[in-house]
Amino acid sequence: MDTLGRIRHLAAKEFSINPDGLDPAAPLDTLGIDSLSFIEFMFKVEEEFGVSVSDEDLKAIRTLADLERHVAAALAAAGKA
Amino acid sequence: MRRVAVTGAGVVSPLGTTLEQFHESLAAGRSGIRRLAPELTGRSGVQVGATVEWNAAERFKEGEVANLDRVAQFAIAAAGQAISASALLADESLPRERIGVSWGTGMGGAHTQEASYQQVYGKGEWRVRPLTVVMGMANAAGSQVAVRHGLRGPFGNYSTACSSSAMALGEAMRTIAAGRADAMIAGGAEALLTPGVLVAWQALRTLATADPANPSASCKPFDKRRTGLVLGEGAAAFVLEEESRARARGARIYALLTGYGNSCDAVHMSRPDRDGQVRAMKEALTEARLSPPDVGYINAHGTATSVGDVVEAEAINVVFGASAREVRVSSTKSLHGHLLGGSGALEFAAALLALERGILPPTGFLDEPDPACGLRHVAHTAERVEPPRAVMSNSFAFGGSNVVLVASRA
Repeated sequence: MDTLGRIRHLAAKEFSINPDGLDPAAPLDTLGIDSLSFIEFMFKVEEEFGVSVSDEDLKAIRTLADLERHVAAALAAAGKA
Repeated sequence: MRRVAVTGAGVVSPLGTTLEQFHESLAAGRSGIRRLAPELTGRSGVQVGATVEWNAAERFKEGEVANLDRVAQFAIAAAGQAISASALLADESLPRERIGVSWGTGMGGAHTQEASYQQVYGKGEWRVRPLTVVMGMANAAGSQVAVRHGLRGPFGNYSTACSSSAMALGEAMRTIAAGRADAMIAGGAEALLTPGVLVAWQALRTLATADPANPSASCKPFDKRRTGLVLGEGAAAFVLEEESRARARGARIYALLTGYGNSCDAVHMSRPDRDGQVRAMKEALTEARLSPPDVGYINAHGTATSVGDVVEAEAINVVFGASAREVRVSSTKSLHGHLLGGSGALEFAAALLALERGILPPTGFLDEPDPACGLRHVAHTAERVEPPRAVMSNSFAFGGSNVVLVASRA
């Protein structure tokens, strides 16, 4: 599964939503994901990929696609991708 | 004076996860106390406890369950049962601003806190879940109940050890009586059977040792052979409602919550004080406008500690005088264990069985009553009587907090 696929899978599990219905470009709040839920979700994403997303980068993440870009960059920087 | 009716009840306990199952087990004198599994006790030395048979995955969505401490899961389930039994929220004429939550718990999210400490000090990983604070805080369980049902009225969370949830009921009653709300979801929950909490209790040297012949019989309140209390977990919740409103909408009224006594011993952190208990019982009776002969059953605090049971028996004798020979007393902790912050609410549910149906739940395993606990015990099996006019439930806590509730027939 690619990075976005894994993130969508995690999000679907965390928020009890259908992964097929998830629009990666949709703002997180329109998916019903509030800021606290998002922070908890990020914790699990970091665990899953073994990466760390800085507080500064976190603030710039508005969509699942944004999240994928940051995770992919972090993986590349860590030499994992 | 606005009177307060009980129009819904819900239970999650070691004796079943509905009010009916709980009442059935009490009526049968069944015990939910068991030997605890080693993964629960660690090396604490604690032998027995009363756990809830609980499958969270059956009750909550996958993403949801990981974000709710066990204590909040119990709270949501018990409150949900009470609300659904009362049909309160079907009454659209009652704005949610007029419905509040009054909750009690001793330790709050103990599992969450312990997991966090385990991560930091056990594994040396200084990285904990972001929800640790909001899952672990003491008011999380009650707030989850409010959020679930959009209850925007007065909110209170009481943490007075073993009297927490009895206080939550009493304060909810006063909130309705004072006109600050028309209905309150009141109750309490506790879920602290973790190795780190158990070892702390063990250090107090107040826990019962396992009965070698029958671990289920390890908690023996008022018995000469008592060795201490047995910890339990669970929750109980009630819908309390202004009486005339409840009658107007045709709600089933289980009982009227008529008396609430609240006092502090102010003498010692753990040793109970007869006079403090006497004051709380008298205050509850006075508020209920009842005299001792009106009370047919007392659900005692009765933790099965050597000192506590004697002091409570003395206090009951002081308050009830000659009526102490008549009023039936039992400690149902012998069957469901001590739910600490959840115990007042759960035992109020036990007292309702006596009030509504005249089935007086017993003190289990009371083979050799201690003469120093001179009470009219309901022992071994439930006693069936004409439903009494009123019942009393005692909750006396570490810190010297005494709460007494009196319920009267509807």
